[in-house]
Amino acid sequence: MTATPEPMLQVSDLVIEFDTSAGRRRVVDGVSFSVQQGEVLGILGESGSGKTLSTLAVLGLVPGRPGVVGGRIDLVLDDRREALLADLPTVVSTPNRGPVRKDDRRWNRLVQRRWRPLWGRVMTAVFQNPRQSLDPLMTIGAQLDESVRLAEPTLGRLEVRGRSLDWLARVKLHEPARVHASYAHELSGGMCQRAMIAIALARQPRLLIADEPTTGLDTTVRQEIVELFQELLAAERRAMMYISHDIREVLFLAREIIVMRHGRIVEVVAAEDLKAGRGRRHPYTATLLAAADLPVGEVAS
Amino acid sequence: MGRFSRIGLWLSGAIVLVVVLLGVVAPFIPYEPADAVSYDRVLEVPSVSHVLGTDEQGRDIAMRLVKGTEAFFLPGLMAAGIAVLVGALAGAVAGYATGPVRAVIVGALQLLDTLPRLVFIILVCTIRNPSVTLIAFVAGVLFIPTVAAVIRRKVEALGSEDYILAHIAHGFHSVWVILYHILWLQCWPIMVRQAAYVFGYVLFVETGLSYLGDYGVQEPDPSWGNMVAQVRSLPPDAPWPWLVPAAAIVLTISGFLAFGNLAARRGEEAIR
Amino acid sequence: MNRLLGLVLLAGRRLAGGLLLLVGASFLIYFTIRSAPGDAIDAITPMGTPPEVKEKLAADFGLDQPPLAGYVTWLGRSATGDFGESLVFAPGEQVMTIARPAFKLTLLVSGGALLLCLFLATALAVVLGEPSPRQQLLTGALYFVTAAPAFVAAIFFSQGMNAFVRRFVEDAGYDTPPWYPIPIYSESVMPYFFAGIVLVAGDGLFMDMLNTVRAEILAVRNAQFIAAIRAKGASTLPHTFRNLVVPFVSAFAARLPVVLGGVVIVEYVFTLDGAGYLLLEASKQRDFPVVVGLSVLFTLAIIVMNLLADVVRAAVDPREVARNG
Ligand SMILES: Nc1ncnc2c1ncn2[C@@H]1O[C@H](COP(=O)(O)OP(=O)(O)OP(=O)(O)O)[C@@H](O)[C@H]1O
Ligand SMILES: [Mg+2]
Repeated sequence: MTATPEPMLQVSDLVIEFDTSAGRRRVVDGVSFSVQQGEVLGILGESGSGKTLSTLAVLGLVPGRPGVVGGRIDLVLDDRREALLADLPTVVSTPNRGPVRKDDRRWNRLVQRRWRPLWGRVMTAVFQNPRQSLDPLMTIGAQLDESVRLAEPTLGRLEVRGRSLDWLARVKLHEPARVHASYAHELSGGMCQRAMIAIALARQPRLLIADEPTTGLDTTVRQEIVELFQELLAAERRAMMYISHDIREVLFLAREIIVMRHGRIVEVVAAEDLKAGRGRRHPYTATLLAAADLPVGEVAS
Repeated sequence: MGRFSRIGLWLSGAIVLVVVLLGVVAPFIPYEPADAVSYDRVLEVPSVSHVLGTDEQGRDIAMRLVKGTEAFFLPGLMAAGIAVLVGALAGAVAGYATGPVRAVIVGALQLLDTLPRLVFIILVCTIRNPSVTLIAFVAGVLFIPTVAAVIRRKVEALGSEDYILAHIAHGFHSVWVILYHILWLQCWPIMVRQAAYVFGYVLFVETGLSYLGDYGVQEPDPSWGNMVAQVRSLPPDAPWPWLVPAAAIVLTISGFLAFGNLAARRGEEAIR
Repeated sequence: MNRLLGLVLLAGRRLAGGLLLLVGASFLIYFTIRSAPGDAIDAITPMGTPPEVKEKLAADFGLDQPPLAGYVTWLGRSATGDFGESLVFAPGEQVMTIARPAFKLTLLVSGGALLLCLFLATALAVVLGEPSPRQQLLTGALYFVTAAPAFVAAIFFSQGMNAFVRRFVEDAGYDTPPWYPIPIYSESVMPYFFAGIVLVAGDGLFMDMLNTVRAEILAVRNAQFIAAIRAKGASTLPHTFRNLVVPFVSAFAARLPVVLGGVVIVEYVFTLDGAGYLLLEASKQRDFPVVVGLSVLFTLAIIVMNLLADVVRAAVDPREVARNG
C-alpha cells in the first residue's frame, strides 16, 4: 500500500457558536476531520450533535449568528492548497470580556470570495429536508436544467432537457418527463429527495455532502438510495460526506467514520474495524452498534 | 425580550397609564369652555400659571388637553371592547365550527372587512347624528374582522394540538376548552395588542374628524383634534397651541400601539 | 395547461366571490341609509331642499318602497353606474361624472404612496439585514415618528415646509413656489407629491410595511432552498425575487384600505381635488347621492384590489391553485 495521499478536505479545530435567548452557545467545539479524494466519510451522532453544522461550515453556509468563529478548512484541488478560513482572524475579534464578536459584512464578503467559485463545481450538498430544499415556485425540471446548464454551459436547450431527463432516470425516478414538469409540492418526500440528488449530481461536484438523505423514507426506498449513491460514486470517484442515523448505511458506504456527540468528535474509526469489532469503542459508539445488533467488541471506560 | 424592548414597554406603559389616569379623572374636573375664554391673555407662552401656554382665545392649553381626553377615552374603550369581545368569539367560532355556521360567520366577517373604515364612518355620520360614541361604535364593529382573523388563526393552530385534544378527550366541554384554555389562556396577548390598536384607531378618527370640524367634537368643547385645528389661523411665531395637542396625539397613539405590541410579545414569550 | 385551466377557474371563482361581496357591501350601505332616524329623506337631505328634488331622490334610492324592493331598485341603477344626481356640490350633475376623475386621482395618489412605501421599506430592509440589538434604537425612533396619524403628519409637514420656504426663499428675496403656502389650491403637482409623502410617513404605515417586508425577505433569504441553490452554484437573485412576489403583492393589497382611509383626510388638509376631499365636502353639505356613490366606489376599489392580488398570487405560486382547487 502506498502512503495515504494528502486529503482533499481537511477541517481542523472548527468552532461554531450561536447567540440564543439563553446567551452564547457553543454547538460545535473543536471538530477536526478530513476527507480523502474519492472516498466517503461517514458521520454518525445523535440528534443535535452538530453533524449538519459541521458540514455546513465546509460549505460556507452556516446560518445564524455568529456562526463559525474558529478553525481551519483546507481544500486541496489539483495540487493547489486553499485555506478557506485563512482570513477568519480578521473577521473575528476577541474582546477582553465576553464572547467573541464577528463582523457580518466582512464574513459575507469572505464567503463570497472564497466559496462562491467552489459552490456546485467543487462541492455541493443534498440537505436534510428534501422538499424544503426545492424552490416551491419552479418546476423540478427548471431547477435541474439550471444545474445542467451550469455544469455544461455550451449545451443547447433540447440537449439540456435531454440531460435532465437522463439524470432523473439515473436516480430511478419513474416517469422522468412527468417529474420534470412537476412542482415540489406535487411529489412525495422520496421523489423530492431523488430529484434533489439529481440536481446535486448534475453539477458533477468533486465533493458531495449528503445530510441524512434517507431519513423519512421507507425501508425499500432507503436501500435504493444508498445503492444509488454507491453506484454513482464508484463510477466517478467523487468524494462524499455522508451523514446518517443509520449505522448500517454508513458502514456500507464509508471507509472512515466519525462519531459526534455534544458538538465534539468522540471517535474516528475505520469502517473495517467497526464491522469486525476490532479495537476499543467509545461507549456511545458501542450503544449505536448494540442497537443495530452489530458486534460491539471492547468498550473504553 | 431584549433590554431595549423592556425599556420600550416601560415607557409606553407610562404613557398608557397617564392617558388612562387623565381619562378617568377628566370628567370630574369642572370646566366651562365659555368661562375659560379671556381675550386679555391670548397666545401666552408657557409659564407657571399656564404650564403649556394659552390659545387664541386665552384658554389654558393644559386644561383643554386634560379635558380633551374625555372625547376619546370612553368611546375608545367601548370600541376596543366591542372589537375584541365580538371579534374573539367570532374568530373562535370561525376557527372551530364547521358547516353552515362557519360559512355564515366567515362570510359576514369577510363582508365587514371589505368596507373601507373611514369612508363608512363618514357615510354613517352623513346620515345619523354624528356623535363620537356612534363613530366609536362603528369603528369597533368594523374592527371585528381584524381581531377575528388573528384569533381564528390561533384557534386553528391550537385546535389540533395534543393537549387541547386531550382536554376534550378527558370530557371537558369543547366550549369550555375554547373559552378558557384557548381564548383566555392563550389568546390574551393577541387581545391586548388588538385592543390597544383599536383604541389608537378611535383616537385617530376622533381627532381627525374633530380636526376637520364637522363631525367629532365641536368647539368650544375641547378635543385634541379641534385644538390642532387652530393651526389654520395661528401666526407662525405661536405654534404651541397646535404643537402641544399634535404631540399628545402622536405620543398617545404610538404609546398605545407600542404598549400593545410589547406587552403582547412579553405575554407570548411567557406562555411558550 | 392544467395549471392554466386551474388558474382560470380560480379567477372565475374569485370574481364571483367579489361580486357577492360587492352585493353584500352595497346591502350594508343601503341599509345604513334606510336606518336613518325619522323620515329617511328628511334626514339625508339638506334643509330647504325643494319637494320635487326630494321626490326624485326618493325614487332614485327606492326610499318610497319597502326596504328590500328599494334595495333592488337602487342596486339595479347603481350596477349601471347611475348613482343619481348631485344635490348641492354640483347640482344636477351625475354623481359618476364628478366622482370618476376625483376617484382616479385618489387611486393614483394612494397607489403611488403605497408603491413608494413598499420601495422604501424594501430598501431599508435590505440595508438593515438581520435584526440586531444595535438597530433597535433606529427602528424604535422610526416607529415613534411614523405612528402619527396621516393628518397630523400632514400638518407637521406643511407647517415645516411653509416655515422653510418663508425663511430661505421668501425672506431671501426669491420667488416663492406656486404651492406656497400650503395648503392653497394650485395647479401644481407638488401637493399631490406631498400627500404621497405624508401618507407614507403617517398612520404607522411605514413601520408596518417595513416589519412585514423585512420578515418576508429574511424568511426567503434564510430558506433552505436558497441555501441549496447557493450550494449548487446558481444565482439566488431570480429565485429570491420570484419568491417575494407573493408576499409583496399581499403586503400591498392588505394595506390599500389603510391608505384609502388616510388619503381622505390628507386630501382635505392639502385641498386636493380627489375623492376624499369630495367625500368630506359632500358629506358636510349633505350631498347624499355623492357620499353614497363614493362609498360604493371605495368599497369596489378594495374588492378589486383583493381580487387582483388573489389572481397574481395564483399565477405565481402553483400551490395556490392546488390549495384552492
Ligand atoms: N441557527 C441556529 N441558532 C442556534 N442554534 C442552532 C442553530 N442551528 C443549529 N443550532 C443548534 O446546534 C446544534 C447542532 O445542530 P445540528 O443541526 O448540527 O445537529 P445535527 O447533528 O445535524 O442533528 P440532527 O441529527 O437532528 O440533524 C443543535 O443543538 C441545534 O439546536
Ligand atoms: Mg442535521
